[in-house]
Amino acid sequence: MTLVRQTFLMARKDLRIEVRGRYAMGAALPFAGTLLIAFGLSLGPGRTLLQQAAPGLLWLAVLFSSVLSFRQAYQSEGEDGALEGLLLAPVDKAAVFLGKAVAVVLQLLVLEAIVILLVAALFGLSLGHQPAVLAGAFVLGTIGLGAVGSLFGVLNESPRARESVFPLLVLPLATPILVAGVKATSLVTVSQAAERGATSWLGLLVAFDLVFIAAGTLVFGYLLED
Amino acid sequence: MCCVALDVTKSLSSSRRSETHRSTTPAVLLSGVTRVFGMVPALIRVDLRVQRGETLLIRGPNGAGKSTLLRVLATALSPTYGSGSVLGFDLVDGRQDIRLRTEFLGHRTRLYEDLTAFENLRFACDLYGLHPSAVPAALEKVGLSDVAGERVRSFSQGMRQRVAVARALIRSPDLLLLDEPYAGLDMPAKEAVDGAILAAQREGRTVVLATHDPTRGGMAGRMMVMEAGRLLEAKSPA
Repeated sequence: MTLVRQTFLMARKDLRIEVRGRYAMGAALPFAGTLLIAFGLSLGPGRTLLQQAAPGLLWLAVLFSSVLSFRQAYQSEGEDGALEGLLLAPVDKAAVFLGKAVAVVLQLLVLEAIVILLVAALFGLSLGHQPAVLAGAFVLGTIGLGAVGSLFGVLNESPRARESVFPLLVLPLATPILVAGVKATSLVTVSQAAERGATSWLGLLVAFDLVFIAAGTLVFGYLLED
Repeated sequence: MCCVALDVTKSLSSSRRSETHRSTTPAVLLSGVTRVFGMVPALIRVDLRVQRGETLLIRGPNGAGKSTLLRVLATALSPTYGSGSVLGFDLVDGRQDIRLRTEFLGHRTRLYEDLTAFENLRFACDLYGLHPSAVPAALEKVGLSDVAGERVRSFSQGMRQRVAVARALIRSPDLLLLDEPYAGLDMPAKEAVDGAILAAQREGRTVVLATHDPTRGGMAGRMMVMEAGRLLEAKSPA
């Protein structure tokens, strides 16, 4: 069985569980909506300030939602010892890492589409200047979050780990994604002439994704083993 | 050309010798295996030999180290000290080979609560490269055909354990490791576990059963007792 097939099986299983239970979406979407509405109210009716703050708030909502999504993705493995089943199964452990990442990336992309529309409506954020670059920023940023979350989410299920380990590891590591994502989003939503600046931030996101996908593929098996 | 042919012949012969050696070695052979968690030893210099086709019963109170021993045999844990082999494969270097030929059934059933019984077994088939056509028959054997399409979340502990037994039946492993498989089960579920053990015995497979339930394990050929991390010989369970 190839790595691609194994990854597909893992991702399909995780997506099926999420579709049945709507655990991550059920928690992440209200959280993201509340965050945006609360900040919208606290920043006041000034349209310029809202538009300037919108990219940062958008990415913060995505970042915290990704933490919730990965917690849930690994919780289903820990409920009845299923993660040990994956450890003992004759599958490439990299497929477990990639499958979990793919499943959560797809969930987050759906969430982001809803949140972006919400931000556009609430804060008057313009999405029309560079939609391809904007989409690229979110897809690449989400892949990076997926790789980091899938790699370190497994530590949450370790008997020696505490609940706080996952955000403590993931949030600092995700900072480059947050910075690049916010910068690229700001540039394409504010000005049409800013495409070149935005694409250089996309380059940073591509580099981050490659590093963490490679690292996860190589070391995930060691994290999973005793 | 001749040298290449000679090398290939030598390699094939060596591979056959290795396979023959594996098939004649004991199913389990441990020598001085110690497992420590932090500063606490869970297994202390355990020596164990289980012949192929044998059913070994391990008794002992909670916390004696039975689960740790079985998890070491399943390669879910590595020994801190000592060495050993399972089905002829080294406990550390050959763990992928061991995993392919071993089923570990513990009190945690390793099922996904939001998948149905059928989907859980289908997923196991996918992981182990088995054809899913065996799933309905396995569910029939453990008496769960009627609820195959229901989510495991709605199942009792006994029903979950029967799904796990069905998974073991599908796999037909060379070595079946059972860790407290009767815990919290009703009579039909206990009988399903016994059925899986008897089926494995009939097929000449090796079974290691750890339980503190004194009413179970009568089908074992040999019994050992675990106390405070040490494994001691005991009288036959019969």
